Amino acid sequence: MRVMTKMTFHEDLTAALQKASASRLSRRRMMGGSLKLAAGGAAVALISPAAFGFRSAVAQDFEGPIDVLNYALTLEHLEATFYRTYNDEFGESDFGDYDDNVYSRLVQIGEHETTHVDTLVSVITDLGGEPVEEAMYDFGVTDVDSYVATAAVLENLGTGAYTGAAQFLIEEDELLTAALTIHGVEARHASYLNFLNGEVPFPDSFETALSPAEVLEAATPLIVMVTEMPDTGTGPGN
Amino acid sequence: MQGLQSLFLGAIDEERQRVANRRGVLTGGAKLVAGGAAALAVAGSPALTKLVAAQDFESDVDVLNYALTLEHLEYAFYRDGLEGFSADDFDEGVYDNLILVRDHEGDHVDTLVSVITDLGGEPVEEAEYDFGYDDAAGFLGVAAALENTGVSAYDGAGASIESPDLLTAAGTIVAVEARHASYLNLINGEDPFPAAFESPLSPDEVLEIAGPFIVQ
Repeated sequence: MRVMTKMTFHEDLTAALQKASASRLSRRRMMGGSLKLAAGGAAVALISPAAFGFRSAVAQDFEGPIDVLNYALTLEHLEATFYRTYNDEFGESDFGDYDDNVYSRLVQIGEHETTHVDTLVSVITDLGGEPVEEAMYDFGVTDVDSYVATAAVLENLGTGAYTGAAQFLIEEDELLTAALTIHGVEARHASYLNFLNGEVPFPDSFETALSPAEVLEAATPLIVMVTEMPDTGTGPGN
Repeated sequence: MQGLQSLFLGAIDEERQRVANRRGVLTGGAKLVAGGAAALAVAGSPALTKLVAAQDFESDVDVLNYALTLEHLEYAFYRDGLEGFSADDFDEGVYDNLILVRDHEGDHVDTLVSVITDLGGEPVEEAEYDFGYDDAAGFLGVAAALENTGVSAYDGAGASIESPDLLTAAGTIVAVEARHASYLNLINGEDPFPAAFESPLSPDEVLEIAGPFIVQ
């Protein structure tokens, strides 16, 4: 069951994310943005979803704070890898259609995500848990427009994920507060990236709290291979 | 936390003195959040323990009224302030977004009042405020300071909430405050996300920051 939970996390990936990404891109283009054919998430190579073939296990019920933190870490890995990859692939000169400092902001966001990963790994380890490891991902980014559009999707998803998961840390005041301090920063990123995509930075009065199952469904298509399947169920504190 | 608080209070004072100085006003929010990484450090650090222990709300209604106090402040700020400005006073698109922020704060007020009432509590009422700005740039500076403080206040109070549902509800508000803060930092020419972590503040700290705005 434990393994199934982890597998499910990696299994479900992207229809929702692809759709959202594509729609952001098309809106951006309609608004006079790039005409480049930005395949974006649409071309994600979904390596045999059947290989991960069970969708029934829903990671709704975390068995302890370490599970919640590993859930957060899974998303932070995704984000950190995303920015590391494309900040390396693209450079400042690729963002000619954007404001001057967009690239440096993306670098900054990437640094935040890496800091979140490092902190979560450290806390999970301190608690006697086994931090999940980075997986391999395919974000389908082809150019800076699809980079920025996918970034917005990931940050909005991350914000919704933290909003939905915070309640599972209600018994752990310090961990809850720590999670909230990350949550706010993800929301700041989301706001900025929405703005960059020509969208409203704060679309609603209230954030949507996403359940783990919803997050899994959106994120899974991005994860093409699981490099390791850690067993987080044996450590103390679960 | 003391250092952080002094820093922010100093920045607010400085800010209010500089309201006539276009685009120079936001340093408060930015400095506030700059301490965020230190405040989080690692969960379990003495600073964070102390922070969490400092919360002495007696019930969820108390926490919600604390939040409502800040939402009243914010909503009144935008509602009254925006009446004195038009779209021409700001860069393109800014006024519309400020209207949106105003409406969000109004929704937060209405929702909190309704929830507190449903829980059998007595919602705190709006006070009278003096925000000390006298032009659009000053308005934007105070807006950013309020939003950044709001995020820190919610983050500091979250752990005091006992009901999972109310915690989630508070989470749906704080994320929107953070979105506002990011945007307002940006249009003030400041870093939208100055640190990898937010900086939770205790109620005492928040009250010291917000207190000067409340005249009655």
